[in-house]
Amino acid sequence: MKHKILALLIVLAIGLTACGGGAEPAGEEGVIVLRMWVHTNNAFIAGYEAAIAAYEAEHPNVDIQLENFDYELYLQTLQTAMPAGEEADILQLFGTWTSQYYERLAPVPPEVMTVEEAQQTFYAAPIGGFIVDGVLYGMPQEFNMEYGGVLVNKSLYEAAGLPYPPQWQTMDDVLADAQALTQTDASGMMSVAGFHFTSADPTAFSFLAGIKQRGGDYWNADRTGFTFNTPEARAQLQWMVDAVNAGVVDPVVFNDETNFVIDAFFQGKVGIGYIGAWAIAEGQANFPDFADEWDYFYLPPFEGDPVFVADSGWGLTVSPNSQHQDIAWDFIKFLTTNPEMAMQWNIASGTIPAMPAVAESPEIAAAMPWVPKALEILPYGQYLGNMPDRDLVVYEIIYPHILNTLQGVETIDQALQAIDTEANSTFR
Amino acid sequence: MESTSQRTRRQHQGLAIAKRRFVASVTVPLLLYESLGIFVLVWAFVLMFFDYSPGRLGGPLLGLGGSNPFVGLGNFIEMVSGDSVQAGLFRASLRNTLIFAVAVLPLNLVITLPLSWLLESIGNRFKALYRTIYFLPVLTSSVGVALIWMSMYDPQGGWINAIIRFFGGTPVAWLSDPRAGFAGISVAMWAVIIAYLWQDYGYNMVIFIAALQGVPQELREAALIDGANSWQAFTRITLPLIRPTMLFVCVMTMLSSFQVFDIIQVMTNGGPNNQTQVLMLDIYKSAFRYQNMGWAAAESFVLFLIVMGVTLFQMRVLRTDWEY
Amino acid sequence: MTVSALSTTAARPRKPFGWSRLLGRFLVYFLLTLGLSFTLLPFAMMILSSFKTNVEALRVPPTFWPQNFTVENYLKIFNDPQLPLLRFYGNSAFVAVFNVCSTLFTSSLIGYMFAKFEFPGKRILFGWFLTMMMIPTQITMIPSYLILAKLGLINSLWGLVIFSAVDAFGIFMMRQFCETLPTELLDAARIDGASEWQIYWRIVLPQLGAPLATLGILGFMGNWNAYLWPMIVLQKIEVRTLPVILTWFNSTHTGQPAVVMAATVLIVMPILIVFLFFQRWIVQGFTMTGFK
Repeated sequence: MKHKILALLIVLAIGLTACGGGAEPAGEEGVIVLRMWVHTNNAFIAGYEAAIAAYEAEHPNVDIQLENFDYELYLQTLQTAMPAGEEADILQLFGTWTSQYYERLAPVPPEVMTVEEAQQTFYAAPIGGFIVDGVLYGMPQEFNMEYGGVLVNKSLYEAAGLPYPPQWQTMDDVLADAQALTQTDASGMMSVAGFHFTSADPTAFSFLAGIKQRGGDYWNADRTGFTFNTPEARAQLQWMVDAVNAGVVDPVVFNDETNFVIDAFFQGKVGIGYIGAWAIAEGQANFPDFADEWDYFYLPPFEGDPVFVADSGWGLTVSPNSQHQDIAWDFIKFLTTNPEMAMQWNIASGTIPAMPAVAESPEIAAAMPWVPKALEILPYGQYLGNMPDRDLVVYEIIYPHILNTLQGVETIDQALQAIDTEANSTFR
Repeated sequence: MESTSQRTRRQHQGLAIAKRRFVASVTVPLLLYESLGIFVLVWAFVLMFFDYSPGRLGGPLLGLGGSNPFVGLGNFIEMVSGDSVQAGLFRASLRNTLIFAVAVLPLNLVITLPLSWLLESIGNRFKALYRTIYFLPVLTSSVGVALIWMSMYDPQGGWINAIIRFFGGTPVAWLSDPRAGFAGISVAMWAVIIAYLWQDYGYNMVIFIAALQGVPQELREAALIDGANSWQAFTRITLPLIRPTMLFVCVMTMLSSFQVFDIIQVMTNGGPNNQTQVLMLDIYKSAFRYQNMGWAAAESFVLFLIVMGVTLFQMRVLRTDWEY
Repeated sequence: MTVSALSTTAARPRKPFGWSRLLGRFLVYFLLTLGLSFTLLPFAMMILSSFKTNVEALRVPPTFWPQNFTVENYLKIFNDPQLPLLRFYGNSAFVAVFNVCSTLFTSSLIGYMFAKFEFPGKRILFGWFLTMMMIPTQITMIPSYLILAKLGLINSLWGLVIFSAVDAFGIFMMRQFCETLPTELLDAARIDGASEWQIYWRIVLPQLGAPLATLGILGFMGNWNAYLWPMIVLQKIEVRTLPVILTWFNSTHTGQPAVVMAATVLIVMPILIVFLFFQRWIVQGFTMTGFK
């Protein structure tokens, strides 16, 4: 008999925890509890915590509970929680993801902000991701710019006898510096890459920017398909191949998987490391012992104006299942459109502001000296465009084929043909 | 007399009822639990005919239909003849899985069979120690194995390149060079194969040793007395006697290498240039990275067919083996 | 020529003790020791690297023996608030112990029932379990995950437990052993007035000690080292099990190989030592069942 009871208890325990798992966090009497989900990035989280504290100080009846998830698994969590209606009230989304999730998001109420107001308030690239079919679904917090920014190692520059800060007028100047910075060990393996541009985001976004700067486009006229097999794309890919042949980077030893640019740069293995400005905070956090001097600069254009495409950026959205959407929007508006709050958040997270008014402020320039350098090219930023599956196109199609070409396992023709076919097949 | 027989009958009836109640109290919860299993299987089966992603709203029943449309055999047709990136990845993964399994099996046998034989032939004093050490990697978590080998393969600081440098050779970027290859298989694939073999050979050795212990010593000795050398005794006497074990080992090695995941996911995550992308990894990525679950379900069905095929083959061959 | 000694009763005059025999002997030990070093070298590398400073661990070419022997890497891990190792050990132990206990209970009970009871539908039910044994987990992985999501059990250790309560292979194995139990013994207990549950608990279970121990150790090992399914189900850091934590730690500490190796030592070695103690059971289990 005892054992029957034991078995029963086990079954009961399973049942209880099953029920307990989905339960809402209980709030105190009269306190409205909002849950907020963000991806794990300690700099971002510090910014959110400060903002929440400020908001709660003004609204003592609101309690915002922040939960964070690893980037790679955040997507998975969202995709499974949303069908079950278990997502948090406030959701941090990457702008380009909105076109995949908009069915399960609450539109921004017009009294909070209209599409026209939003387009006037924010840069075109960040806000673009949150607008799907003319409806606004969220507010951007940062201008995510993968194009153009590079970490530069001053110590390596001086050791190579190059003038510092770098005086680049054209990309040829960059390559010339890079050639001087590159080092090879006794067995012939590259030990320092002069110009590491072969990680996934830098490769893909400089490819797209190069197409635009050369006067081409990767979208067809009505944006229903891609055109990657163009003379402009060919010229850009040829440029990259030439750079590798010039010996500025060995794409076999330096790429996204091996010697990822942040890790390699902060170990002194990279002279010029191509990566978005968000890498600065991450590198400083992960490599506190790195002794070399370094700074962040922007590259000259490949050709013509520094036109580039940007991939929106992180922003905040609201679940339609939330019981307190009004408060959620009030908090988001407080955090994203109040210049003071937005600025504090951008400084804490080390990101480029999504609002021109904030980006141009002297406080930002003082806290993040690279932002004024970025301001010169920010107005040239265009929105990437709503893709059916942005991650698939960037990480499984564009980047692998370009890397193959750089590593010499595919020809330029093969790569462009494959990118074109495969990218178009994502429209199904 | 009368009363005792009645009592036994009553007792029997009581026992039968008790037995029935016992069976019911076990089977009813079991059936309820297993209905969950059947539901899971049916769902898995249905999913592969849909273009299903849990992020989309879809129809009312399990989110099927609507924005998760029914595509019939569309997923399978795409696998065979499609030009999408998923179809290309699937075909590459299928090829890589076959390469991996076909390379692992003979290499494993070439290592484990002689080593077990040698180990079986030495005195008892060292045997246990040797066997214990050979067995260590089997007990190690495969994530740990992958990390250890990753640092062995590191192009700059790894021991393997250090040895190559020591002998004046050219170091290799083992896990990231898509150009280098050996015997038609890329170096990255060789690298994961070696790590996998390292973790796995202790397992087959244990089984071979058990089988070799079962070979009657007298048979071997008789052959040696009749003038056969050790090699002949091994091939003529020992090998045929452990044939069923060999077959069993082959099939089990095959089955687990078709389903390899942990080591490759940690070491290369399918790279470089998808040269180590195996089916399980592709299924995982399709389902959980790209949320393309209908497609992933169709892929798992293909893997299931392969595994089933190998299992049925094993059952058939082993049965004919038993006949004599 | 001959490697091992012939029987002493050999009729044929044995060759006198010779060099070839010694050479053969030497060759055997040489080959075995070669294999041994290949097996041990990666472990040695892991342990030695974990005691190097990070600068030394990154040196090209690498050093063999740590030049500045340091335990700093270990201290760093113990003092890392992001890495409460004990908690992760607890998570792994919870999942493994709970799963092993539940499958041992269900396997023995159901196996016993299949072996010693007759009831309608028995063949069908048993056939079902045989079929389940052949179905690889990857085919049920996706719907199982969707069900867990619907139940809200993603990020809960219970999510790792719920689908593992019944193990078809365990049932199959236990049935084989239960069939060897003498029915008279059970009947005698029944006559003595023992209830069916008492018979299962007091008579059947004690007889199953050895196979249960084998099944339990194998199950524990499988659960402890499991990677794919825990990685899918456990997305929040604090609920993860050790293998998933180890890859996460590796991905957040690139460029710090010494610390990663120290974490690997801490996560891999303790349980490896425990498993070594139970080696006999594990080997027995492998040879008996052929399953890992």
